[in-house]
Amino acid sequence: MKLDLTATIVFTLLFLLVTLLGFLAAHWRKGDLNQLHEWGLGGRRFGTIVTWFLLGGDLYTAYTFIAVPALVYGMGAIGFFAVPYTILIYPILFIVFPRLWVIAKERGHVTAADYVRDRFGSRMLALAFALTGIIATMPYIALQLVGMEVVIGALGFPPGGIAGHLPLIIAFVILAAFTYTSGLRAPALIAIVKDALIFITVFAAVVVIPAKLGGYGAIFASVPQEKLILAPPSGNSLGSYSAYATLALGSALALFLYPHAMTAILSASSDNVIRRNAALLAAYSFVLGLIALLGYMAIAAGVDKNPAYASGFSQFGPNFAVPALFLDSFPSWFVGVAFAAIAIGALVPAAIMSIACANLFTRNLYKEFIRPNCSDADEARVAKITSLVVKAGAVVFILALPQTYAIQLQLLGGIWIIQLLPSILLGLYTRGFNALALLIGWAAGTSIGTTMAAMQGFGSSIYPLEIFGVTLPGYAALYSVAINFLIAFALSPMLDYLTRRSPVSASRS
Amino acid sequence: MTRKKAKPDWRRHWPRLLFLIPCLMILWVPSYNRIEPKLGDVPFFYWYQLAWILIGAAIVFLVYMIERKIAHAAKSSSEGMTGVPGDSP
Repeated sequence: MKLDLTATIVFTLLFLLVTLLGFLAAHWRKGDLNQLHEWGLGGRRFGTIVTWFLLGGDLYTAYTFIAVPALVYGMGAIGFFAVPYTILIYPILFIVFPRLWVIAKERGHVTAADYVRDRFGSRMLALAFALTGIIATMPYIALQLVGMEVVIGALGFPPGGIAGHLPLIIAFVILAAFTYTSGLRAPALIAIVKDALIFITVFAAVVVIPAKLGGYGAIFASVPQEKLILAPPSGNSLGSYSAYATLALGSALALFLYPHAMTAILSASSDNVIRRNAALLAAYSFVLGLIALLGYMAIAAGVDKNPAYASGFSQFGPNFAVPALFLDSFPSWFVGVAFAAIAIGALVPAAIMSIACANLFTRNLYKEFIRPNCSDADEARVAKITSLVVKAGAVVFILALPQTYAIQLQLLGGIWIIQLLPSILLGLYTRGFNALALLIGWAAGTSIGTTMAAMQGFGSSIYPLEIFGVTLPGYAALYSVAINFLIAFALSPMLDYLTRRSPVSASRS
Repeated sequence: MTRKKAKPDWRRHWPRLLFLIPCLMILWVPSYNRIEPKLGDVPFFYWYQLAWILIGAAIVFLVYMIERKIAHAAKSSSEGMTGVPGDSP
């Protein structure tokens, strides 16, 4: 592929604009950035609109924009599970998280681990939360790089080598620098530009591309019939029906447990800001649904048969479908805009994720186990440095290891992060729960979920559960968290009874 | 918690039961896994789920509005009882 100069110039200019914004963000709604809640939560001052941009930028990532249509392109209807998933997340966001926000604000919690530490008085449970959060988020940051790498490759930069990796490294150095200086304010401000670009790109795509391809009828007609809807179940298996529904439900339950989602939620200025966003974020869901359809447009445009894109497909696989479609359908300058949208779409979540990991490390590992008496300024400094380390780790991860590792780890990340659900829900909605029972439930859920994925060779998170001779293929995260819940419920009263007994018997003897 | 428990939870939060509608509709996959009826040229499977994004958002908004009304009503009635002047009609 030849370097597309016009597109590269537009892309670079937009990238520079965003860099400038990232550094200016430090002065926006100025706070003392030597305080962790100022650096890492933007001072909890984001209103409805900023939170809308921030959550939208956070949850609908570059990788989503590349991977969801790639899945639809490659696998058809099952890839559309992203739509029911986004429908399910808003009731959950509305019911659970304003409640958590109120408590976190009152008690000064910065992370979910802070909450369980305070709620259940268990350092070990908080440690489990912090480690799960960090480990599940790291591959997610790496995948944002994958999204960026695909568009940089599509601009025509040579694959691999110093020249191929340099743009990516530069982008991440810039990202690291403005995250360090501005904290959460940077992605919040950049998210506004990112979303403007994404909305423009998507609306152009759903109008311009079908017009070129002969309308939606022609697009759907070009998709093989067996891909167009889910394969109906046969024999004793619920087949793709249970897979589709459990993928949607499990992903929805897991989403807001991710540290980066939690960070964006806790940075809101009130619980009602979160409730309003539960309705307003649907705008992104709708756009995501349209983006998913880009996968079919790529099939209709026949980009896979076009020799100009052969090298891109051989390097990036189905992830190249959307960039190829844009190259095929748009003039160069608009390709620059669209690719910038995706690359900036990688910066925003990567910044928030690294901040979230930094918050977890600082609050729940460093302050808890290493230096309990550190000052507020120390706390903020450690967090800033951690955010750099996390991003450097992600870059190394992507450049040194095969991409499949990041994808498999992200798949496992969903299974791991959902195991935090029982502690959060039972903490918010019951009077008390035994911390040890929750910890055992977490350990069991994590190991069972991981085993289920291992049995599929880490290639799929769909586990064929068999009950009474009926096979229910479903999302391993959902199955394993059900076991987690059961164990917590079964053990909690028992352990409560035992621990209540022991001091009494000790005093008697 | 700083909030007053003016009413039992279910009386303040019953509108949340409405959330069951989009959740159940969208999880019942066999009900929409088909091509006909098409909307324009778009198969049912796709336009139906896209439509539920909008309906789902409308339901969230509705629940928000009803709950706010309930909260306001509870607030003004409790103010009335403690004899705060001015607000009562």
